[in-house]
Amino acid sequence: MTNEPKQGTRTGLERNHGFRGPVVKPKDQKAALSRIWSYLRKQRIGIVLSTLFVILSSILSLLGPLYIGIIIDDYIIPGDLSGTVRMLILLGAIYLASSIFMWLQTFVMVRVSLKTIQRLRKELFEKIQRLPLSVFDKRQSGDLMSRMTNDIDNLHMALSQSIIQIVSSLFTIIGTAIAMFYMNWILAIVSLIIIPLVVYVTKQIIKRSSVNYKARQRDLGQLNGYIEETISNANIITLFGREQETIEQFKKANEQLRTSALKAEMVSGFLPPINNFMNNLGIGFIIGVGALLAVNELVTVGVIAAFVTYSRQFFRPINQLSNLLNTFQSAIAGAERVFEILDEQEEVRDVQDAIAKDQFDGDVEFRNVEFYYNADKPILKNISFHAKAGETIALVGPTGSGKTTIIQLLNRFYDAKQGQIMIDGEDSTSYQLDNLRDHIGVVLQDTYLFSGTVRENIRYGKLSATDEQVEKAAKIAYAHNFIKYLPQGYDTMLASGGMNISQGQRQLIAIARAILEDPDILILDEATSSVDTMTEVHIQKGLNNLMKGRTSFVIAHRLKTIENADQIFVIKDGTILEKGNHETLMMKKGFYANLQNQLQVQ
Amino acid sequence: MKAAWKLKKYLHPYIFFAILAPSMMILEVIMDLVQPTILQKIIDNGIANGDEQYIISMFGLMILSAFIALIGGVACSTYATKTAVNFATDVRQDLYETITRFSERNKDHFTLGKLITNLTSDIETLQRAVIMLLKVFVRGPLMFIGAIIFVYITARELFSVLLYVVPILAISVIIFTQLTGKFFRAVQEVMDQMNTKVQENLAGIRVIKAFNRKAHQIQQFLEVNGLLTKRNITAEQVVGVLMPLTALIVNIGLVFALWIGAIKVENNIIEVGVILAFINYLMMILQGLISSSNVLIQIARAIPSAERIVTVLEEPNDIQNCHEPIKNSPRGEVEFKNVSFSYTKQGEPVLKDISFHVKAGETIGIIGMTGSGKSTMMKMLPRAFDVDQGEVLIDQQPIQYYDLATLRQAIGFAPQKAALFSMSIEGNLKYGKQDVSLQEINEALEASCAAEFVEKLPDREQHVLSQGATNLSGGQKQRLAMSRAFIRKPTILILDDTTSAVDAISEKKIQQAIDSNFPNSTKFIVSSKVSSIKNADQILVIEDGRLIASGTHEELLQSSEYYMEIVETQTEKGGVMND
Repeated sequence: MTNEPKQGTRTGLERNHGFRGPVVKPKDQKAALSRIWSYLRKQRIGIVLSTLFVILSSILSLLGPLYIGIIIDDYIIPGDLSGTVRMLILLGAIYLASSIFMWLQTFVMVRVSLKTIQRLRKELFEKIQRLPLSVFDKRQSGDLMSRMTNDIDNLHMALSQSIIQIVSSLFTIIGTAIAMFYMNWILAIVSLIIIPLVVYVTKQIIKRSSVNYKARQRDLGQLNGYIEETISNANIITLFGREQETIEQFKKANEQLRTSALKAEMVSGFLPPINNFMNNLGIGFIIGVGALLAVNELVTVGVIAAFVTYSRQFFRPINQLSNLLNTFQSAIAGAERVFEILDEQEEVRDVQDAIAKDQFDGDVEFRNVEFYYNADKPILKNISFHAKAGETIALVGPTGSGKTTIIQLLNRFYDAKQGQIMIDGEDSTSYQLDNLRDHIGVVLQDTYLFSGTVRENIRYGKLSATDEQVEKAAKIAYAHNFIKYLPQGYDTMLASGGMNISQGQRQLIAIARAILEDPDILILDEATSSVDTMTEVHIQKGLNNLMKGRTSFVIAHRLKTIENADQIFVIKDGTILEKGNHETLMMKKGFYANLQNQLQVQ
Repeated sequence: MKAAWKLKKYLHPYIFFAILAPSMMILEVIMDLVQPTILQKIIDNGIANGDEQYIISMFGLMILSAFIALIGGVACSTYATKTAVNFATDVRQDLYETITRFSERNKDHFTLGKLITNLTSDIETLQRAVIMLLKVFVRGPLMFIGAIIFVYITARELFSVLLYVVPILAISVIIFTQLTGKFFRAVQEVMDQMNTKVQENLAGIRVIKAFNRKAHQIQQFLEVNGLLTKRNITAEQVVGVLMPLTALIVNIGLVFALWIGAIKVENNIIEVGVILAFINYLMMILQGLISSSNVLIQIARAIPSAERIVTVLEEPNDIQNCHEPIKNSPRGEVEFKNVSFSYTKQGEPVLKDISFHVKAGETIGIIGMTGSGKSTMMKMLPRAFDVDQGEVLIDQQPIQYYDLATLRQAIGFAPQKAALFSMSIEGNLKYGKQDVSLQEINEALEASCAAEFVEKLPDREQHVLSQGATNLSGGQKQRLAMSRAFIRKPTILILDDTTSAVDAISEKKIQQAIDSNFPNSTKFIVSSKVSSIKNADQILVIEDGRLIASGTHEELLQSSEYYMEIVETQTEKGGVMND
């Protein structure tokens, strides 16, 4: 849950007022900036153009007040009407040009920024596809998601707006100062005297309010966490009649947020009126001092007029600048997080002259395979076995014993730390990774379906499959029976993750998907765990057909499935405890026989 | 809009602040508006006459007005914040209480995800809108209208310029605001698509890798990415016109003011100061217009949030206590009389004409396929739902006659999804019963075979679970959820498929513990496994919402073909092997 105020549809009218909590500082600003530049470089013509337009429009908007001053002093007051009209046409032209350049800078910069962002997004997405699973284990998907969306969006805002604004603010400040001194140095000093005060007060308020904002964010985070948990588990609260206690606890958190939110909002709310005050004070001094000087003929009315306009132009960028720099810094920090992903080690690359086969026989051999995530916590220890082509292999053992890991090594989700995995007599690492995965079909324990129609989801197994082939696969998987009752049958839209159908139904579609893939080696990892027993019997028939003639690895908790396997491996604590078929293992009277017997008793 | 207005009662306690805030803002705006007029006076009276005394007193007036504006602004901000934060906090509290007391059907109606959004982002949107409403919404229009009025007073001779500038300005702002909304909605649409794509790719990465569909996914992404970029470029380029355009309109107005002003100065109708005052007011008009339209958009965005909140607050709770409810704890006799139920009004009935009778202290097994209605049937007992037709009786009294708290107090329910809270194991068990001794906790843990893993934890029952108890296995979660129901020593115990991830041997032990610990409780055991319910006094066989057979295991083997079929697929070697 994000607590940042969400920027919905933009209006084009917003200016950077207010602020959004503490600034996140980049770790190595220089490195990040130079890397962003490497992306921007392709668009450098656009950048040069845009900068040029920014400079032009800034200069032109500085000329405006200067001309107004001149027109008043030299034309209106002396009563030169035709000269006034001439000058006014010039002034109009200046304003027109200034507006055009102002628009052009946005026009060009938006393109520069969005094209850059498009490329960055594409690279990030492609990178994610190439990352090994260990990265996804290590990082939460919400974290990856926010890098792909929030961080990149912020960078876009920074590129398309902040840069222009920072450049134009700097130009305006410097240009105004020069123009002021050029016109009248005494009034210029009077105007500038207020600046340190503005900067100081703004800094103080931001400093104070970022402390308060942190407290508010903390309380809000806590409250939202509480809301999420209690609402998702609301049925428990009802069943156990714990409404009152839950509400009281909520009240505590809510009151805490009330206090900290009041503080945070209050302090930050002072910023606009104080800025307004500084503005008014500055203009007041210019007018007051200017008028006294004018009486003594040290300054003209036109100059006062110009100064009043300048000082309005002057204070806004000063107030904005620190804000803009903060936004920019946060964006750089976001870019750093994006680069962090781009720098992650990619999935194993193919060796030189990697093999690609059209068909695999399915002869699989593990030779002294070891695997661990942490060297001191081995997951698989010295696993060796040989599955001949066409055999069905069952893996049995308690949760966490390493069954799933064996399977994940087979299709190279991870690579063995020690030992070798041979497929058709060749080391599995000597095959092209893509080629290998194309020929291994998997039905995973926690299956995932994509948003799209049921048909598209089954077709995922073989993108070129016809509708008839899709339906045939669904029939074999026993999925056709429920699909035909869905509102739009095979064209029913599934939500992300297939959340609008039951877990059992999701598993059936996943099985159909694997059936359609028609792999040479089949892996079923608890493929039917969420299907009820009656349905399972039917699917099992389909799966038996499927397993015929191809090497299959099956992890199942139902003993019936296991019994018919050609080989059964009992896995415990990362080693193969027992090996054999059902009969030999029963004779052995070991772990397997014991398990079977215990179940027989009841 | 009308709906949003109903939230006004939450403003009542802070009505003083809510009125004070805009009043203070009026003070600030008037002080701001006075400034150009003072400027005009200084130039036309002070400078023109060389009257230093007049200038100094006018200067003093300016500084004074700046201070008054500061006081007004700060006060407005303070009161606006107080109103908005307090208002939002109160609404949040009420909303949370309403939702917490909702019945299952109420919650299903809104969906949990949406209720969470109401409590979090909707409320925050509302709070921001109220602050804006009290601060900027007053400032913008006031500045806009005030400046026009001041021009009429101070620079009436130039007022004609406004007759052209203001309408053109207003129309451009309105057109662009609409245009922008349209363009960015189109952007948002693709943005949502892209977010879904990314999210799915992260969640389904294993499937993508297993099927080697990298290229396919990238292709899909590139399309969305391209479309998003295209729409975004168009939108921002169009929107970028607004700022330069409004500046141009105002500036052209300024040029005309100077022109007309010059003619009138020439004819001695006005003095220069008037032109300067006019220029300043023109700037204020632009500022006022832009900030008003900005705030309008903010507020327009908040209205749907407010409406959603009101809908939730006004939702009638469909399960409530009757008049003078029974507060005596029941003995546990349960009867269903022709019960029918469906989750939605026109929906397919989930329970169809179900009748059965259970004596206090009996053990009832309920078996059937996934989706047959077993769990729904059990949810009628704690009145998570009320039946559509028929009656549920407890101790021969209709269930609606019981006090809700009394009824639920008597029931120990372990639901299918073992939902646990992110607190200690002890805290979770105390959810079942608040004042329990350590011994009771240990007994409950023992009975559900949870003790064996809890004992291995370094901090035992003080062990804090993560959110969603992700650090426990499915079987461990189920055991704790059962302990939580056991600890209540309930009159009616309901285990809704709570041993699906528990190994056969432990399940056996749990069954024995239930029999010896709760001899007088009525026990409902829902399962799709025959082994879990085989020894029940009565087994109810449910198919497609109907009770198709009932009796003991032996009786059913004789009488029900369907039951036999289930038994056959599960017998002997069909057991479940797990940790």
